[in-house]
Amino acid sequence: MAYDQTVIQEKIRQYIVEASHVDKEKIKDESLLFKEGYFDSMGFILLITFLEEEFKIKTSDSDLLEENFESINAMTGFVVNKLLS
Amino acid sequence: MNQKKPFSKDIILLGNIEYVVNEIVEKLRDDVLRKIRRTGGVVGISGGIDSSVCLALSARAFGPDKVLGIMLPEKDSSPDSEMLASELAAKFGVKAITENITGALNGFRCYERRDEAVKRIFPEYDPRTYKMKIAVKDTGLFSNLPPVFYLIIIDKEGNEQEKILPVKEYLQIVASSNFKQRTRMSMLYHHAECLHYAVIGTPNRHEQEQGFFVKYGDGGADVMPIGNLYKTQVYQLAEYLGVPGGIIERTPTTDTYSAEQTQEEFFYQLPFAQMDRYWYAFEKGYPVTEVAEVMGETPERVEALFRGFERRRRTTEYLRMAPVRDYYGI
Repeated sequence: MAYDQTVIQEKIRQYIVEASHVDKEKIKDESLLFKEGYFDSMGFILLITFLEEEFKIKTSDSDLLEENFESINAMTGFVVNKLLS
Repeated sequence: MNQKKPFSKDIILLGNIEYVVNEIVEKLRDDVLRKIRRTGGVVGISGGIDSSVCLALSARAFGPDKVLGIMLPEKDSSPDSEMLASELAAKFGVKAITENITGALNGFRCYERRDEAVKRIFPEYDPRTYKMKIAVKDTGLFSNLPPVFYLIIIDKEGNEQEKILPVKEYLQIVASSNFKQRTRMSMLYHHAECLHYAVIGTPNRHEQEQGFFVKYGDGGADVMPIGNLYKTQVYQLAEYLGVPGGIIERTPTTDTYSAEQTQEEFFYQLPFAQMDRYWYAFEKGYPVTEVAEVMGETPERVEALFRGFERRRRTTEYLRMAPVRDYYGI
């Protein structure tokens, strides 16, 4: 596996900060990004595209659950599971 | 003190339809004839409920001989649309003409640009043998995740295939399809200018507030007489004004892609009767618990739904904005 969990988490954090235009300090690993309204539909598709391209994973319909995307922690877990499967 | 009525399923129903129609007709006359100084109105008629009500209101406001109905089909349009629109114009004694915009769209390479993007997702897609559409997939509407768009292609036997739309292809398909609404707007203004009439816009309240329109396309008009009405209320007006039954009973479609597609499937994700009530409650600030009880939902789901509404209103704000021009000036 090319990444460890910390690297994955950091890459996702960096992307979220850049894409959401929100202060770095405001975004915690457990912040509920969609509940807080940081991303709209387009932002969500861009985020999925980023995860797919960056980590060479494939997202399917059944993956589009809040528990997989709601926070940086959730996304990190999702990517790690995908890489392991 | 003006006390807010308790939330109920009937809260958006208009009590006195005649009064509402008279108010709209009077304001339409005032805006078009006196404020913007045009002598009548041009209405793009699609055979849908919104444009039908706008045509009927315009006929009342200016007289049938001062209204022109224009059908603007293109090669992906349903043939029913033109038939229903003709029936409507005849019913209200309004002159109607047809301007087929397929040639103009070919000039823009509308279909070609759209199909290029579709083929990147489904290489087997051939517009001669397949139909296509975009749909919103339920993540769902009551979830905190925004909706995701899917591309669906359907072969001659009716077999469907669907995939999540990547950003680049989604943007290209939508931008290409938007030529349709913008071409229609250009044609409406051409006829309006030839006759010294106003363009009567047909969006309803949801389309305006939720951003379900194309900027400078169907969002481009001089007046929007039903722009403040919920869909349920538009149906009430249609019944009152005598819009033909075939139009009232028809399921609202986008009439944009080659495959049949309802507005609910493409955008709203809820039947309009429910969407109207929820949106009304959201706009008027009714407590989530009160709304949930009346609608038979949990407060958590209604809260998530309202967050989605807020997101939709915020992200579509730019569609409703006039060009920003408060830059430096002397």
